Amino acid sequence: MRILLVEDDAALADTTTRAFKAQGWAVDWSARGEPVPASVKQDPYDLVVLDIGLAGIDGFETLRRLRAQGSTTPVLMLTARDAVEDRVRGLEGGADDYLVKPFAIAELVARARVLTRRAQARQGDVLSLGLLRMDLPAKRAFLGEAALELSAREWSVLAFLLERAGKVISKDQITQAISGWDEQLSGNAIEVYVSRLRAKLEPAGVKVRAVRGFGYLLEAGLNDEP
Amino acid sequence: MDVDRTTARSLRRTLLAWLLLPLLVIAPAAVTLQYALVLQPAQAAFDQALGNTALSVAAFVNESGGQVRFDMNPQVERTIRTDQQDSVYYVVLGPAGQRLAGDPPLASHPTLAQSAPVLGADELAYFDTSIDGQTVRVAARGVACGEAVCQVRVGETEVKRQRVFRDSLMGTVAGVLAFALASGLSIVLAARRGLAPLRHLGEQMGQRSLDDLRPLDETRTPRELHGLVAAMNRMLERVRGGSLAQQAFLADAAHQLRTPLAALKNEAELALAENHPPEMQAMLVRLNTSAARAARLSSQLLALARSDSAAAVALPNEPLDWKVIAAEAAQEWVPRALAAGIDLGFDLQSTPVQGRGFLLRELLANLLHNALAYAGASAQVTVRCRRQGDTAVLEVEDSGPGIAADERQRVFERFQRGSAAASSCASQQPGIALEGSGLGLSIVRDIANGAGGRVELLDALLDSSLGAPAGCGLLVRVTLPVAGAGIQKSTQKISQESTP
Repeated sequence: MRILLVEDDAALADTTTRAFKAQGWAVDWSARGEPVPASVKQDPYDLVVLDIGLAGIDGFETLRRLRAQGSTTPVLMLTARDAVEDRVRGLEGGADDYLVKPFAIAELVARARVLTRRAQARQGDVLSLGLLRMDLPAKRAFLGEAALELSAREWSVLAFLLERAGKVISKDQITQAISGWDEQLSGNAIEVYVSRLRAKLEPAGVKVRAVRGFGYLLEAGLNDEP
Repeated sequence: MDVDRTTARSLRRTLLAWLLLPLLVIAPAAVTLQYALVLQPAQAAFDQALGNTALSVAAFVNESGGQVRFDMNPQVERTIRTDQQDSVYYVVLGPAGQRLAGDPPLASHPTLAQSAPVLGADELAYFDTSIDGQTVRVAARGVACGEAVCQVRVGETEVKRQRVFRDSLMGTVAGVLAFALASGLSIVLAARRGLAPLRHLGEQMGQRSLDDLRPLDETRTPRELHGLVAAMNRMLERVRGGSLAQQAFLADAAHQLRTPLAALKNEAELALAENHPPEMQAMLVRLNTSAARAARLSSQLLALARSDSAAAVALPNEPLDWKVIAAEAAQEWVPRALAAGIDLGFDLQSTPVQGRGFLLRELLANLLHNALAYAGASAQVTVRCRRQGDTAVLEVEDSGPGIAADERQRVFERFQRGSAAASSCASQQPGIALEGSGLGLSIVRDIANGAGGRVELLDALLDSSLGAPAGCGLLVRVTLPVAGAGIQKSTQKISQESTP
């Protein structure tokens, strides 16, 4: 995996680079935002880690130029501000996630992994997480090589969660996303589908974690590093 | 700011002095003028009447062949002398000054010699004399009798004149007094009325909270105060600008601190993950914790600065929903709770509040940080929000060691941390309590107070089936006024969308 780190603080860039390298990932570092669009065009990066506060053009502008040239490379923004306005602005500008400084290295690595996985999972029309693969056009799911049998509802719920793997998803969101025109699903129904999914996925190390009173979080176990 | 009220100049008093003092001069002058204007003509009229009587008396002076005679019949004399108030005197003197008829006092009174003129024919004069101690006004007339001139004098006491004088004076004084009183009253009222806008302006300023730096309403103050109001508004604007600049500086400083702190923290983390001498372990852990604490402190200081100052005014006051804010927080805090082995749960109902988004998010972040930091591994933390009548209630409950009742007031003070866990909860794992800055709850309280609400620390209502010993845990309840009816619509929409 190859990461482009855009950070103008040399000390932080150094620790971040070492953290990524410890995962066995390749890291290129740029202290400025200007060369980023060209670099991303030239080299196939799996992830851009982009600081907002840069000398020269800032992270927002770098992101805008990057997206303007049609790049879909995932971008994880680093911000020293925890003002929500900054986060919203970053996400609306096409960032995929944000992290507020100072962050724990474990959190940085986990977020980076989720983003690259999500990007990889979208290669073509196939979503994947660990051993789980969902072929959307064929409506077929696999755990490793074995076919995974899912009802239509289970399929919808799992596809929705898989597209947002690593994020906390509320039951409301799932209900709204998969309720048909003719039918309003209840929260209880979602719970039933999820418990069935959990039973099917658990053996393959894919976990649907419940957030009490709120929703779910789909994550891969630790035995499936890409 | 202490003004010595006894020596401070009162605008009202000055105004009254300058308006009322002239009245004290004007009123006597008016009396004098009025008196002169009324009394002189009256005096002249009385004199003329007396002169006419003298003329009537003179008509009875005859001369025939060098012999001067005066024959007025008694009937006429009675008529002349008849007066209800005054005594009337007359005298007729021959050419040699001898008395032909009438009252002797008018002919030869000692004072008469000096004042009585000897008049030519048809000449008229008036003078005063005294008879029996009474002042008598006399009209004297010269009458031709043959070749010579006789003198006719008619006098009357001054009872009528005194009475007119008295009545006129009293009338004048009463009139002027009434006028002065009416003027004085209207001046006092006018001064009060005229100065009312000034008092109103003072009250308007006095009633303001210190954080309220909005400009004063210029349209409702009189034109004369526009300069003052404009100057005050300029000053308010400058204070606001200064406060905003201070905010910007604080925000900037807090943010600038974070990047080096991130590098420091990550360096410690990497060193912990890499090979390191065992004796360094404790040091690296402390380094990591301190860097995280310093970073948190910087953002808390920023939140404090924003919550208790005028800059809060600069942040938009918007209709919000605790449910939406808590759902946002879930994204950030659930992974942290999972990593720390804490069961973070939610019970969210649509709860409209009016407030400043940044501050309400910071409030919840502080409560969550505290709960996760102090409750300890395998604890249970629950975030609840609901609307309760006119209040919006947010609760964060944890099954940690809690805070002893006698310490609950103290932990709201800045830089105060709760002490070790209550003994009854010793079975609970203590949390990473030392990481706290001691600012969290004071920030929560400042923000809640600023939004017109309050914070209570209560015993947790934990379900004992979930493994928490009774008497442990902490429930922090933040009560804010529910948002006004104006935003009911949008919150209804949210609650429809989000049936749990």
